[in-house]
Amino acid sequence: MVVLNKKAFRLPRVEREKFILLLRLGLEYNREQGTFCVGNYNNIEKLIDVLSEILNVDKVTFLQTCILCGKDFPCQNCTYQEMCATRNLPFHCVCPQCLKEGKSFQEQL
Amino acid sequence: MKDNLLWVEKYRPKKIADVLGNEEAKAAFVDWLKNKRRVKKAVLLHGPPGVGKTALVNAAANDFGFTLIEMNASDTRNEKAINKIAGPATSFVALDKFSTESKGNLLFMDEVDGIAGNEDRGGVSAILKIVDASQVPVIMAANNPDVEKLRPLKKVSALIRFQPVRIPLIIAMLRRICQKEHVEAEFEALERIAQNSRGDVRSAINDLQSLAETTRVLTLQDTMALSYRNRDISMDETLRTYFSAKSLLEASILLSRSSVDYDDLLLSVSDNLPRRYADVGELAEAFDLISQADVFRGRIGTENWHLLKYFYNYLAEAAAVSTETYKPFELISPPIRIITLFWTKGKRTTLEGICAKIGQRCHVSRATAKNDFVPFLKIALERQKSSPLASWFKLEPEEVEFLAKMNKF
Repeated sequence: MVVLNKKAFRLPRVEREKFILLLRLGLEYNREQGTFCVGNYNNIEKLIDVLSEILNVDKVTFLQTCILCGKDFPCQNCTYQEMCATRNLPFHCVCPQCLKEGKSFQEQL
Repeated sequence: MKDNLLWVEKYRPKKIADVLGNEEAKAAFVDWLKNKRRVKKAVLLHGPPGVGKTALVNAAANDFGFTLIEMNASDTRNEKAINKIAGPATSFVALDKFSTESKGNLLFMDEVDGIAGNEDRGGVSAILKIVDASQVPVIMAANNPDVEKLRPLKKVSALIRFQPVRIPLIIAMLRRICQKEHVEAEFEALERIAQNSRGDVRSAINDLQSLAETTRVLTLQDTMALSYRNRDISMDETLRTYFSAKSLLEASILLSRSSVDYDDLLLSVSDNLPRRYADVGELAEAFDLISQADVFRGRIGTENWHLLKYFYNYLAEAAAVSTETYKPFELISPPIRIITLFWTKGKRTTLEGICAKIGQRCHVSRATAKNDFVPFLKIALERQKSSPLASWFKLEPEEVEFLAKMNKF
């Protein structure tokens, strides 16, 4: 399994058709830094399939951002991973640490 | 009254930032709304129920100062109705723009995947025309965007997908509500409520409120009664649970969960009330409350949906006139009026056919034929079935028979 940072990640060089497909599926390419980021989330499942194929791994996931503390964290340590129907999107969640500490939304309500 | 306030209403998001989860969808929607040179004039928000689609639109209208013109699933959404409501809303500036800080209209059509059947004929094509001609943002929401009839709408709309809200987010939100409501809750209890909701924030809040009503210290044991949510509560189930509600709050929560048509529900409740209350005084009180609910249903019409809570409140109060006297009974469902319409459909169609023939022959409308011609024709045919009038109107023998035997028109 590979965990990618949605804000910037690198990929091995791909064929032209594949590159176009990635852009069509919602990736954005930063020429100067040679990194990709997720710009459109509507085709995230297809995008993950293509990324898995390119990286030659069985699973690709993205880092999540905790909406309480702002840190990035992977889904691996989440106890609700098995029953989570939306592992790939959205990219915001509550990290296990904040959940354990009993933090709740201050602004939200 | 404050104690009876539903927490889903009390904690309804007022700002975009208040809408829980779906950060990417929220950002995409705000970008679309802010963009004055938007490529697609309409946006289709899609995703399962209770994930914040409608809440986001309301919050955005509030944040950006738009006047929200809303068309709900319970409205008839045929071509005529859509043009009547949405047409002016999309071509004129809001009247209150001059008196308040309104930035103009925002047209919102909720549950567009529910546009179906004869009642909503021409609805989709009318929306397409509205989108094409619109000078204001047009927002649509649907639970299932893959419905075949939505294909043309998808072509002209930007699509924004909403996902079920994740369990940790729901837990954090429930925890906050518990703090505000001074309810102590075990983490495991909140966890179970969140898991049970399957990403539906609305139902999680409802579950929390219904459980917290009986105890101030919520334990895992208290949540054991929660079953996995049945998203589409049928009319029969709604009525059964409604009439057996043990409190006003229970009835209110049920009504807010049920997705049955408001008008059908009102008729069904009204038909079943005499079976529910044996005591005449209680029955009179319940009917009085139903009539108040009916008044509010009339005031809601097709756009004043902010009054829906009063409609629900009166309806819930009618179920809770005397909670101790409840005994199970056989429900009348569907409503008698609908059954009657169903059984008389054949007769009404025959009469319509006769009126059309009279109208054609005498150059009058069908309504005039029905009111001014049919009564006399009926008397004439009762006396003499082979009257020359029958052949002049080109009536079939069955139609002559029908008119001669007809009791009421």
